[in-house]
Amino acid sequence: MDADKKKTDLLHRAQYAKDILGPKKNERLEALLSKIGACETNSPGQGRQEALKNLQVLEERLGHLEALLDKQLTPMDKVRIVRHPQRICLKDILENVYDNYTEIGGKDEHSIDPGMLIARAYVTRRVGKKTLNHPVMVVGQEKGHGQEFRNGGSIKPWGNSKALKYMKVAARENIPIHAYVSTPGSYPLEDFPGAAQQIAENIYEMAGLEVPIIAIFSEGGSGGAEAVALADKRLMFSHGYYSVISPEGAAAIEGKVRGGMRAPAELIERCAQFQRITAEDNLGAGFVDAVVQEPPLGARPEHFDFYKRLRTEVIRATDEVILGVGGMRILRKRAMRRRKKDPDESEHIIVRWNLNTKAKQRLLAKRRRKFRRMAQGSFEDRRSLAEKIGAAHLGILVPAFSAVRYGLVKNVKKTFTRAAEEVTGEIHVVAGRIERLRRKAMERLRLPRNNGRRKGLELTALSAPVMPSHGNGQGYLSPQAAPDREITCPRAEKRGCMDVWARDLFGEFAGVCPYCGHHFFMEYQWYLANVFDHDSVREFNQNIASGNPTGFPDFEKRILAARKKTGLQSACMTFNASLMGIKLTCAMLIADFRGGSVGAAEGEKFIRALEMAGKRHQPFLAYSHGTAGIRIQEGVHGLIQMPRATMAVRRYIEAGGLYIVLYDTNSYAGPVASFLGCSPYQYAVRSSRLGFAGPGVIRETTGVDIPPDYHKSYKALSRGHIQGVWDRRDIRKNLHQSFLTIGGRNLYYR
Amino acid sequence: MARHRILIANRGEIAIRIMQACQDLGHEFVAVYTAEDAGSGHLDTARAMGGDRALARISSYSDAGDILSLADEVKATAIHPGYGFFAENYRFARRVAERDRPMTFIGPSWWVIRDLGDKINTKRLARRLGVPTVPGSDRAIYDEMEAEAIAESLFEFQTDQEVKRPTVLVKASAGGGGMGIDEVDDMARFRQTFRRIRNYSARLFNDEGVLIEQRVFNFNHLEVQVVSDRAGLGPVHFGTRNCSVQSLGKQKRIEVAPGFFPQGISYSFDAAKVLGDIVDHSLSMAREINYDNVGTWEWIVGPKGEPFLMEVNTRIQVENGVSAAIARLRGENAVNLVREQIRLGLGEPMGYGQQDIGFKGASIEYRIIAEDTQNRFTPWAGRVEPVSWPKAPWLSLHTHMPAGRAYQIPTEYDPNLALAIIWGRDLAEAKARGLEFLDGLSLDGRDGQDVDIKTNIPFLREKTSTLLEF
Repeated sequence: MDADKKKTDLLHRAQYAKDILGPKKNERLEALLSKIGACETNSPGQGRQEALKNLQVLEERLGHLEALLDKQLTPMDKVRIVRHPQRICLKDILENVYDNYTEIGGKDEHSIDPGMLIARAYVTRRVGKKTLNHPVMVVGQEKGHGQEFRNGGSIKPWGNSKALKYMKVAARENIPIHAYVSTPGSYPLEDFPGAAQQIAENIYEMAGLEVPIIAIFSEGGSGGAEAVALADKRLMFSHGYYSVISPEGAAAIEGKVRGGMRAPAELIERCAQFQRITAEDNLGAGFVDAVVQEPPLGARPEHFDFYKRLRTEVIRATDEVILGVGGMRILRKRAMRRRKKDPDESEHIIVRWNLNTKAKQRLLAKRRRKFRRMAQGSFEDRRSLAEKIGAAHLGILVPAFSAVRYGLVKNVKKTFTRAAEEVTGEIHVVAGRIERLRRKAMERLRLPRNNGRRKGLELTALSAPVMPSHGNGQGYLSPQAAPDREITCPRAEKRGCMDVWARDLFGEFAGVCPYCGHHFFMEYQWYLANVFDHDSVREFNQNIASGNPTGFPDFEKRILAARKKTGLQSACMTFNASLMGIKLTCAMLIADFRGGSVGAAEGEKFIRALEMAGKRHQPFLAYSHGTAGIRIQEGVHGLIQMPRATMAVRRYIEAGGLYIVLYDTNSYAGPVASFLGCSPYQYAVRSSRLGFAGPGVIRETTGVDIPPDYHKSYKALSRGHIQGVWDRRDIRKNLHQSFLTIGGRNLYYR
Repeated sequence: MARHRILIANRGEIAIRIMQACQDLGHEFVAVYTAEDAGSGHLDTARAMGGDRALARISSYSDAGDILSLADEVKATAIHPGYGFFAENYRFARRVAERDRPMTFIGPSWWVIRDLGDKINTKRLARRLGVPTVPGSDRAIYDEMEAEAIAESLFEFQTDQEVKRPTVLVKASAGGGGMGIDEVDDMARFRQTFRRIRNYSARLFNDEGVLIEQRVFNFNHLEVQVVSDRAGLGPVHFGTRNCSVQSLGKQKRIEVAPGFFPQGISYSFDAAKVLGDIVDHSLSMAREINYDNVGTWEWIVGPKGEPFLMEVNTRIQVENGVSAAIARLRGENAVNLVREQIRLGLGEPMGYGQQDIGFKGASIEYRIIAEDTQNRFTPWAGRVEPVSWPKAPWLSLHTHMPAGRAYQIPTEYDPNLALAIIWGRDLAEAKARGLEFLDGLSLDGRDGQDVDIKTNIPFLREKTSTLLEF
């Protein structure tokens, strides 16, 4: 082998190791690097053999050092590994893991989104003389090796839309999907559709794709990862990371870093550590099913034995999913278990990678259960024993009651009313004839029609009082109304609004400028008092409390402070209420509690509320009084709520429920990009803002300054994200109207 | 009794009358003016009575924050809204009473203003008490079927009553001042009109509610002057007045007290009974809601003498003087309702009952306004030369035109010039004196385009001769 080439290779390897260590200095590595550099390869005095021998020794030493360093890698080092230009990319995997592939949906920069790569690939298995060709749909983010146009694997909405399109194609063709996740996060862009909308749609649709989905995480950053990662089996590269937000982003939020400043390095390290982003952490918490071991310091394109391992793992994962729902499978399952010890053998089992209709249903049910079970220990269940028993009983009684009430009684009632209608219809015809005859007779006899007096009395009598279209506001007075001062509308200069007295504005006007309709912030209690019928709000699961599943330093204290400040146990309040007599279930994300961020407790409460609504056959209102996104301190425990809650929404909607989402104040990120954004009926209160990422995050990640009205509700309306913008005082009326006019077949109150 | 400092938050002749009343009652006052209004006569009066201390400039007569901070500055203890912007604004009244440095709002309590300020609420209250109201809906109708049913019964009712041209009014419940209102005289066109008004209302007022009522033609517009105090010793009335002579925009031009003259004019109905009825109804309503200041119950009386309550004005009105002119308290001279209002508003007891109030003679009030009555009552703005007003014992004149210098009518405000109240022993004498007054009046002025002043004096003269005939 050419000594020169070997030297260059070694130099590259050492340099790579140096890159990975980042700001940290390793003396042994430095020494080795300089030694390799000093190694003479073409000096006349030494022979070629000797040079090679020297290099051989150095290579061995480098190998040892790499193995040693690999053991000391911090989470932040792993972040540097996945971001390194030499990191294996999807193209490498397609070339080396699959036997054949065709890239579809664009080629290189000639693609609607070059960061999203779609390929039809083949896995060929030979078992004895038999050859099995398995077509699969490979989707995933392609970072390339430093190619600009790939945008670092940060996907624009249309890229996710493309992925969804071909995943649906896979479902139609009944072939498995292999999704390779390698993205720092979605590109925060509001368009037609916006990033949040598209991710929400992806998650919602993937929950119902009737083919096995295998996700393989290399870099799993936030919503961008979830857009393709809702899978039956989730594998993860041992040097990858999977997190709710990049460590830098988390540090910027944690350290309250503003415009243009960078968070300190040690804070970034700390965030990386405590967000539990590594493969081991995610495996331990159950968010991924298996880890694919990489070579020391991460896989690079030249690690051919890694491709082989990856191929085995991917094939086995797909086999396991298929066998987990297939019919005749006992023997092969056992064989699989046996072969686990000898991974190379797993190629030699015959498993067809398509499913029949029944297996598809089982697959979906299994997928749902899988996600439903996740993050169960990530919140604090502070319910008393009695509450738990009560809830368990309700879980049995309510469905039984619903079955009788809606399955049996309703049908009987319907039959009777129909019959009664028929009879009255007949009577009407007869009565009409008699009346006409009577009138004719009266006219003939020229008798005066003396009902004028009666009519007059009717027309001047007091009519029955009507139900107020919005609540009387009794029982809640905003603390903002207390001071004796005048409030100036922020749009006063543009619209010429006069100043309004605080007590009028926050009392009678419900926080709405009487001149231009600008909505001031209003506490969630106002909605409880004014939107729902008087005294009808019954909270449940209030003792499921937010915790600190990642052991994030000092976070308990902050949670306790939030509990004390708001008197709530989590940012999600779930309750049954009635609205003009219609019973409904509502989940409210409350901005006062840690910015309305969604963690494990909030997600769990949301899901339980949806299940409750489903059991009770009630419409469901998801009211976002403000949410900042997924709670970053909970890491993937929070992030996983996106697919979990979205699957619950899908289940509820498919059962015939009506799912209405209402946004108020500021709603951003995770929840909007999943369980809120997937609703077909989304509305926003005036003057609210909603979208994928706030202005600060957009500036941080893209360097673009957005216009001030970028996230305004009316903009969201014109982008098609929401279906209407409501005045706060009309919420009650409009909700009632919605309940009466929209929704699925299963709404029994109509 | 405590000495008050009253901030007078209005302009024009009422400001002057309030100042005079304050002086009579021994209270201090602070008058306000805006930059555009600096030539008004009420500044002169304020200076003459209270010096420069009694005068303050504000940015606008309708800026509540400005007026209240001024009130704090001058340490006012009470605010008189005149009959302007704030007089029927219960939020302002409530704010005055409930702010950190509360003051007395001279007028009814704010909840009374709120309850009677809403026409629908007033109508429902009236119906609850059996007070007659215009046939039709007493709440906003949203449902088309319901609306059609009401309209149909209204047509049927009018046909039975042998109304000449049965007509139904369709109006936006959130509207007012003639906006979003239309009439239908044919059931076939009702739905179309209903939808148009509903859409108009939804667009303009963000509310789809529509009211449906009978349209009453050829009616007399009558008012009952009610006075009551905070002690709740029972409301009294200061008679009725007839305000049927109005401009195109339904603004009153001539008022006559009392409302009907059963002795002098022959009516097709029992006029005395109608007057008694409306007074009784007004007082019973005032009693029911604990009315506690000066107020006016507005009625329309149809061609067959059927009274309908229209609305309640919870304030002193421009035409208060015409009722005051015929009222005699314990046989003495005419009462001053402006003074009564301040006295009662500051919490004093009334000190008299209905039995102490008598009535004598007839009275006519003219509103002299610079406007073109031939041309849709278009306001005229310009410079008016000093006027030498006629003087007579039977005449009382209220004007805010400065004495002895020309008056530039500000374009920002109404071009009202003066109020003239004429008293006579009977209607004929009052009419004759009124004509005499109008004949003796000459106003001179020019505007920027050198156009001569246009006033409604010819219109007033013409209407006087046919007054109260119908």
